[in-house]
Amino acid sequence: MAKLTIPRQELMYSGHAACPGCGPALAMRLLLKGLGPRTVVSVPASCWTVIATPYPTTALGVGMLDNAIEATGASISGLRAAADALGLGDLNVVGFAGDGGTADIGLQSLSGMLERGTDALYVMYDNEAYMNTGVQRSSATPQGAWTTTTPVAGEARGKLEPKKDIMAIVLAHHPVYAATLNPSFPEDFVRKVEKARERKGPRFFHVYAACPPGWRYDSDQTIELGRLATYAGIFPLYEVEMGRLRITRRMGQLKPVEEYLKAQGRFRHFSPEEVQQVQEQARARWDDLLARERAANPPERAAVPGEPASPALPPPVAGEALGRT
Amino acid sequence: MLEIRFHGRGGQGAVVASELLAQAVFFDGKVAQSFPFFGVERRGAPVTAFTRIDDQPIRLRSFIENPDVVVVLDPGLLRDTPVTEGLKPGGLLLVNSPRPPEAFSLPLGGRIATLDATGIALGRKVGTATMPVVNTAVLGALARATGAFTETSLERAIISFVPSHPEENRAAARDGAEAVRTEPVAPSTVAPAPAPPAAPLPFPEGPMASRPSHVLHTSSWRTLRPVIDRDRCTRCNFCWEFCPDDAFDLDAEGYPLVRLSYCKGCGICATECPPDAIQMVTEA
Ligand SMILES: Cc1ncc(C[n+]2csc(CCOP(=O)(O)OP(=O)(O)O)c2C)c(N)n1
Ligand code: SF4
Ligand code: SF4
Ligand code: SF4
Ligand SMILES: [Mg+2]
Repeated sequence: MAKLTIPRQELMYSGHAACPGCGPALAMRLLLKGLGPRTVVSVPASCWTVIATPYPTTALGVGMLDNAIEATGASISGLRAAADALGLGDLNVVGFAGDGGTADIGLQSLSGMLERGTDALYVMYDNEAYMNTGVQRSSATPQGAWTTTTPVAGEARGKLEPKKDIMAIVLAHHPVYAATLNPSFPEDFVRKVEKARERKGPRFFHVYAACPPGWRYDSDQTIELGRLATYAGIFPLYEVEMGRLRITRRMGQLKPVEEYLKAQGRFRHFSPEEVQQVQEQARARWDDLLARERAANPPERAAVPGEPASPALPPPVAGEALGRT
Repeated sequence: MLEIRFHGRGGQGAVVASELLAQAVFFDGKVAQSFPFFGVERRGAPVTAFTRIDDQPIRLRSFIENPDVVVVLDPGLLRDTPVTEGLKPGGLLLVNSPRPPEAFSLPLGGRIATLDATGIALGRKVGTATMPVVNTAVLGALARATGAFTETSLERAIISFVPSHPEENRAAARDGAEAVRTEPVAPSTVAPAPAPPAAPLPFPEGPMASRPSHVLHTSSWRTLRPVIDRDRCTRCNFCWEFCPDDAFDLDAEGYPLVRLSYCKGCGICATECPPDAIQMVTEA
């Protein structure tokens, strides 16, 4: 048999209540494979509270705290303090919240947890709308996308505003480790989870999480869509460690965004100009990442006699030095 | 007053069916009321909706506990949902099933009607292959089997209110009316067994947090099932890696086995399998 490239252990149980083909369900499954059983997860009101709790059972093979939608960051600061007080320093404390619960309703709580230097991992699974309540727009919904509150009819062309850049907000807090993850790339996904698990201090994941009913596509396309998102530069994969950015999935050439957009009912109304706009944004996003990666890792300058050698990289800005909560 | 209760699964259109039916009744010049049971709506998860029909204003606002008609959009529901609960003696049970009415029973007697609405929806390309939308075919059958509303008004409601593929839906409704077969069933002569005690939970009572969800089965959520051709399988494990329901086991030799108690039929494994060793086939 081919060697497994991700851990075999399953800590997310079957029988859960996610729709067929649910991206967030696969994201949780991969996350727990990487974290292992010494884990407690705080889940706020979202699809995942419903997925995890088909009465009277739980779909998580680890501890779960069902918390209020605005409080994920605060709840994991509290869980960390409690775990440490109980001498459970090795417990992985994880928040697992949707885009609405993170980028909108729980933003202050996330900021507080990052700023306090809480030793915990915050995961935002991004299905780009309030799905559990029936596809309302969030600040993470992409520009132009159809949702029930950003209709497409006549003059109305979906969401007016661009998607909020949650990674930029998080990085402004200088976390120990932050990364973008996509379940369509399971090995990259689990490697980042394992890396985050070994770090102390605040950590953050932005996880691509495709949603068949909310994005209006057939459930068998979940993985293929995720691949297109990354290859087209819509959702590039990278990690930022101690302020240093590294792209983990490099593309010589970006795929056209059109294939990605056309595959989803929420974008089907896009005109060629609107497609072109997304294309340009993808290009700019990718160029920006490449530039930031170069800036973080300057090429060694050839030693010129008489000149000092290239300066050492600056010391890490956050991390072990920070106190726990 | 005629009271109808719909049982379906998220995505099959049970709620829309109850609303289209109400529209058709309005076009007939009568009064109708329709509303869903408020609950978690997941593609595949059980959904209930209600419609009342009358010649005069309807003032009742309760759920329908004793329907005259029960409509079942998915025969899989008969396995684990007490769909006929409260159905009036002499009432009608309409089931989407390729099997004949004789294959089903009604202990209190009444009428049973069946039609293969899934086959009709797939044939008319209403919905998708993974999630055929059977509601319009079932409504056509309901019109024919009850006579409670006219087929003309149903078609008018479909053309006016179904946003995508209205023509295909109208054709499906016509097919449904033609395909339905209704048979009277006598009340069972056997004295009804005393109500069984509430089914025990599939695990001992106790703190709930420790009970894993895999004691619950989700097999009835699917309309398609994956079938693996071992001769083509290269044991790459992609199907196992990508299944959101963890519905695969790997056998000792590393071949994937589908755990059909949990597979929801999303089709990801078939789409992702590099040598096309997985086919999605319609559930019987
Ligand atoms: C303060 C508050 N407002 C609204 C709700 C209702 N609510 C429950 S789940 C949910 C959707 C959350 O969206 P998101 O965080 O993106 O998760 P998703 O459902 O998309 O997985 C909402 C609005 C709530 N529980 N609490
Ligand atoms: S609505 Fe979307 S995110 Fe929620 S359970 Fe269904 S597929 Fe998953
Ligand atoms: S169709 Fe395949 S991927 Fe989808 S739930 Fe079933 S086994 Fe898993
Ligand atoms: S994806 Fe296809 S080839 Fe790979 S293990 Fe599964 S069935 Fe076999
Ligand atoms: Mg969301």
